[in-house]
Amino acid sequence: MKVDCTIDGKTLSLSLNSDKPLSLIINENLGAGSGTNHCNGSLCGLCAVLVDGKPTLSCLVPAFELRGKEVQTFDGFRRTKAFKDLEKAYDAVGAYPCSDCYEARSIIFHSLIADDVTDRSEILKELSVIKCSCMDPDDQVAIVKQGMAIRSGKRVRRIQ
Amino acid sequence: MLDGYSSQASMDRNIYEGLSSPNIHTPHNMAEYASIITHYPEAELWAGGTFLMSRPDSYPSRKMGREIISLASMEELHRFQRNDRFAEFGAMVTLDEVMSTGKAVLPKVLLDNIRSIGSRLITRKATIGGAIATRELSTTFPGTLISLDATVEIRFIRKKRLHSRWMQLTRMLDKNGKVSLPPGGMISRIRISFSDKDCQYFTSIGSVLSRPSEAVAIAFTASMDQDVLDNPTIAFTYPDIGILYSRDIDNIFSSLRFPLDEGEFRSLEQIVFTFIDSSIQELSRLQRARTSGILRAIIDDLNEKSLTSPAS
Repeated sequence: MKVDCTIDGKTLSLSLNSDKPLSLIINENLGAGSGTNHCNGSLCGLCAVLVDGKPTLSCLVPAFELRGKEVQTFDGFRRTKAFKDLEKAYDAVGAYPCSDCYEARSIIFHSLIADDVTDRSEILKELSVIKCSCMDPDDQVAIVKQGMAIRSGKRVRRIQ
Repeated sequence: MLDGYSSQASMDRNIYEGLSSPNIHTPHNMAEYASIITHYPEAELWAGGTFLMSRPDSYPSRKMGREIISLASMEELHRFQRNDRFAEFGAMVTLDEVMSTGKAVLPKVLLDNIRSIGSRLITRKATIGGAIATRELSTTFPGTLISLDATVEIRFIRKKRLHSRWMQLTRMLDKNGKVSLPPGGMISRIRISFSDKDCQYFTSIGSVLSRPSEAVAIAFTASMDQDVLDNPTIAFTYPDIGILYSRDIDNIFSSLRFPLDEGEFRSLEQIVFTFIDSSIQELSRLQRARTSGILRAIIDDLNEKSLTSPAS
């Protein structure tokens, strides 16, 4: 089936199997997705991408649901200012996700910062989808809060 | 070994990919749905897709000529309404929407069930209708909704016409404890009464999707009045087996006077396991141990409640 969608800012018209998962589309059809894993249903959480701005597990999105959607993979996200701010938050806290979950965790951190989620349990619940246990919970909460502080600092500077 | 497996999987994928692209139907209303399901009675219904996509063999499909009816465009399945007695959800309302719209009014046992799923990356996609109507495995939702005496509206085709019927969820369980729908039938609405029961417990251990043969969930609701349970309902979910519910077990619970001592707990446990063993044979030792642990936690809490409630 023909699927028209936007991936990382490029408008694409793809000819795909209608039930092909987005995680495989990114890996096989687009040759992108450095860290977009396809876990065959084990829900490892490593394939998170942004679909219409919301973090989504790409292994749960079939091709036919992509019509008219805007997808941003980590490759697209790393070119944004939001990612630069997130890197500053990592540096400030002094904690970084491991190479396995860096992409997925960064995308979920970004969505938590964008949604102003400050509640510790909410932050940890949202990140619990990633099965990798490389990060300390306190560090994860600190990164989100630091990310918000960096973003609000920018806002204040803009108003001044 | 792993490389051999992955190359085999990749070869399988190459063989089946391209041969098996399912046809997708997207009805916008019930009339269109009725027309499609009449033409393709074997079509697979697609709600959120969380369960279907998380099956290890979900892609590429080995079924040729597979037809999928995506319910996402049916506006009436996304509706939510409530009055002072109940909340009514369309089958396509996501669990995240259920949580956000009904946080203040919905029964604790249901909210605890949704919270137990964890991340909103899953609950934003999973729908309440899809969570009930999974075929191969039972999720924890039917058990929870049974404990709340929920009713569901079924739409089904008979003599080429679309019919509708409200049913209690308990009546939809077949003899194996699976939720069964009539051929071509779908769940369109779920009605959940606002419960004033003060003892509500939902506990789930193990992963329903990735390790169903080890997972167990128990949903329990009751009111405690003068150390006796009023209208107790308990449902056991074993994802790989089904949902176990019996009025007889509810009656056993209502005959108890709390607090229970160790001997009374042991005999209650024995009755429960006799019922479980009479219904299913394949309960694993881990599931048995987990069931016992959850049951003990519920009884301990009820004991505590009965001891701390003001004397009447």
